[in-house]
Amino acid sequence: MEVRILSRKFDIADAHLLEVAKQHGAYATLDKVFAMPPADVTDEVKNSGLRGRGGAGFPAGLKWSFLPKGVDKPVYLTVNSDESEPATFKDRYILTRDPHLLIEGIIICCYAIGCHDCYIYIRGEYTTQRKALQFAIDEAYAAGYLGEKVAGHDFKLDVTVHRGAGAYVCGEETALLESIEGRKGQPRSKPPFPAVAGLYGCPTIINNVQTIASLPFILANGAAAYKAYGTEKSPGTHLFGISGHVEKPGMYELPLGLPLLEVIEKMAGGVWRGRKLKAVIPGGSSTPVLTPEEAATATLDYESMAAHKTMFGSGGIVVLDETVDVVELTKNLIDFYHHESCGQCTPCREGLGWMLKIVKQLLRGEGTIADIELLRELCDNIEMKTVCVLSAACTMPVRSYLDKFRSEFVAYATDRPKPEQA
Amino acid sequence: MAETVKLFVNGQEVEVESGKNLIDAFKVIGVEIPHFCYHPALGADGNCRMCLVGIEDGRPPLVPACKTPVAEGLKVQLDTEKIKKIQHDVMELELINHPTDCPVCDQAGECTLQDYYMTYDHQASRMRVPQVLKGKKMDFGCGVIHDQERCVLCARCVRFTRLITKTGELGIVNRSDEARVTTFPGRKLDNRYALNVVDLCPVGAMTSKDFRFKQRAWFLSRSSGICHGCAKGCNIFIDHNREKGGDDRIYRFRARHNGLVNGYFICDAGRLSYHQENEGRLGTTRLAGKDCTIDEAVETARRKIENARKPLFLISPNCTLEQMIAIKGLATARKGRVSGYSDSYIMEGDGDDFLIRDDKSANRAGFAALGIDTTLEAFRLALNEADLLVNFNNDLLRSEASGTFTEKLSALTVIAVSSHDNTLTRKATVAFSVSSYSEYGGTIINQDQILQRFTAAVVKNDPVPNMIEVVRLLGGPVTDDVTITKAMQDAIPVLAGIEATAFPTAGLNLKEKETDHVTA
Repeated sequence: MEVRILSRKFDIADAHLLEVAKQHGAYATLDKVFAMPPADVTDEVKNSGLRGRGGAGFPAGLKWSFLPKGVDKPVYLTVNSDESEPATFKDRYILTRDPHLLIEGIIICCYAIGCHDCYIYIRGEYTTQRKALQFAIDEAYAAGYLGEKVAGHDFKLDVTVHRGAGAYVCGEETALLESIEGRKGQPRSKPPFPAVAGLYGCPTIINNVQTIASLPFILANGAAAYKAYGTEKSPGTHLFGISGHVEKPGMYELPLGLPLLEVIEKMAGGVWRGRKLKAVIPGGSSTPVLTPEEAATATLDYESMAAHKTMFGSGGIVVLDETVDVVELTKNLIDFYHHESCGQCTPCREGLGWMLKIVKQLLRGEGTIADIELLRELCDNIEMKTVCVLSAACTMPVRSYLDKFRSEFVAYATDRPKPEQA
Repeated sequence: MAETVKLFVNGQEVEVESGKNLIDAFKVIGVEIPHFCYHPALGADGNCRMCLVGIEDGRPPLVPACKTPVAEGLKVQLDTEKIKKIQHDVMELELINHPTDCPVCDQAGECTLQDYYMTYDHQASRMRVPQVLKGKKMDFGCGVIHDQERCVLCARCVRFTRLITKTGELGIVNRSDEARVTTFPGRKLDNRYALNVVDLCPVGAMTSKDFRFKQRAWFLSRSSGICHGCAKGCNIFIDHNREKGGDDRIYRFRARHNGLVNGYFICDAGRLSYHQENEGRLGTTRLAGKDCTIDEAVETARRKIENARKPLFLISPNCTLEQMIAIKGLATARKGRVSGYSDSYIMEGDGDDFLIRDDKSANRAGFAALGIDTTLEAFRLALNEADLLVNFNNDLLRSEASGTFTEKLSALTVIAVSSHDNTLTRKATVAFSVSSYSEYGGTIINQDQILQRFTAAVVKNDPVPNMIEVVRLLGGPVTDDVTITKAMQDAIPVLAGIEATAFPTAGLNLKEKETDHVTA
């Protein structure tokens, strides 16, 4: 099942060191890339069908082609390494185990889009990861892979690591830009989109770590080799972080399109302790939950997840067994998004706090059926009325819990005994 | 009207000015799009989400009107159930953590939250959980009191201190529903325009220490006026009220928009200068320090003026053109000298590059327009030769520097025609109490050569006469409206071509060249 493209060097000892990484092929694609016209590099990525791995799944090559032509402004690449979505732990592996893969991808992308200044925005809590990344960048500078002449070619590239201060919302691409510019991390209104006016008002491409790290393979082996994996519309591989109530939680690189339950069974050892499956969160906390019946027909690709009225998301799969109290889980979820709401625009700022208090009231046994209806209505009232999608990232899953596990909410409202605790 | 575009609102085709956003463009044609955070001087922030409108066949189909420029053929939807529901929902969310303490809130009666609640929300609260508690009656400095719980986080005040005064004292700290406007520790508001945040605040979060709890908004009459605090001539609202059993009294000045003069703002000193209209007034007409009837005063004053060999008529730089013309007429008839010397009104270096001017008088430019001398030399010469000083509201001794005249003045007979009590009225043989600028109308020219007209705002229970009336009583030959208008047109020929009814509301720019528009 497993395919080792991104994770090829993950199990090699000291592969984060340039010397070891080079022995295993790091930076080998650069000569080939620099011999190509930049537009051909973009085309190759377009042809590979690589989609953004931050969660939205927007085609990467297409995104690059949105950069305005003939603008007398610098172009920036910003690598989103804010990985803050609960249940998501894929990029950290790249940052610590194969940072040179990321740097190689950055060089390829920057060459394609004509960028000479790249910023990597790394979440504040990633201390070890930042050190590993900075160490690799320093090594790359010393070895001439970054700086005035990248790998001896007539191309200048500087890479700067910018640490976040611990805000989930800074993973939103425009809040991320605000944060780099030194302001409070609050999303900007769009349009203008970053490709037109991004970092410091200049054309900016923002890609996820895993997206960028996929580039060396595509350029080395060609778009067709990448498309050999995955499905037609969701080609390639993805790093899946499987957590929750499974026997073998962990990070697995798999081609897209595999059956969800099969992956949970074969890779993660199935639901733990012989318990029954209650639900699966398919791609990080913000994706609507799947019931066992839905999960049985779902495959791990963008199209199947959309057909199941959820999202592929970030590949962070959470398996929930029969003991999970969905109301408690909903409280945890809203608590997180309420805490992380930047507080800029009204629906998210006021609404998530209200929702949290309603669920807490329900958990205390003080709620009513009307509260459940209100909670459900608030999901609709808040969603998509905001500057960014943070509130939707909360209301979409909450709505799925309310709709699919309504009886559990009703149980709290009608004073029935709580479901048995784990 | 500049270039226009045709678009649709609720299916109806309308023509609006291009280059504007939907809120501003539709406002002109009488279509309201509700909003909290947008303000034309502060730009679109897009945080309140109250101005979301539908765009038929649009991508996206839902946009904030403040950030959406008008465009040919755009199909804007305001009356769909979807949009009404959004407005309703946003209002509900704005209000869940609002204290709804309208009965004790200064903003009540002129509060956007109240108005929008009636128009767009109008439902009982569904909030059954505890509200977020934040800071109350916080002294932000400069006379600004902040209530964090009433605040809707529209950030107008924050943007004002960042974009307009560029002092940046305010900021929003914390996230989610714990977000709140505050100052930095130990660094309160410290700028000369701070009280504008009270005007800007759409709700009762920013209140003025000077005004709060003094008067309910709905009791106030709002009259238009012009601030006489300096030579900028900022446009203001004079909010006044005659309480039962009391006299008509001004409770506050507020900024009134005039793109040609002051934009949307006024300075704090000007805003608080209404106190001088209420207090320190001369009040009664006096003869040798004792109250007297106006007839007695007129009789004495006329005799003294007629008997004077060399009377000097001193005019205040706050007088209107009409008043100046009348006084000049009297002086000519009595073969007296006229001076507009008023250096004591100039505070060198006090002005700035925004609205505050060094010159603390409203119509100094009027002297030049009417050919009235203002030099110290001419004044000193005239004063030394004079045997009578008739002073029309000129507060000659308001600054220390003018103390040099005290010796001469002590030997001189003084007739004072004055709205306020000052050193000269106290030593005057005859002192006439006359109205001040909130009580009369007239024409003034500001430092930038903008000629503006204003009308009387306040009518006192026992009105004191306009200065022109006193001039007439003293034998001035030029005191009727027609003659004064003619004299004004002679001095400023451009006025002759303008019908009184067609006078531009923003004022008339006397400079031939392009105006320096205040775009704030």
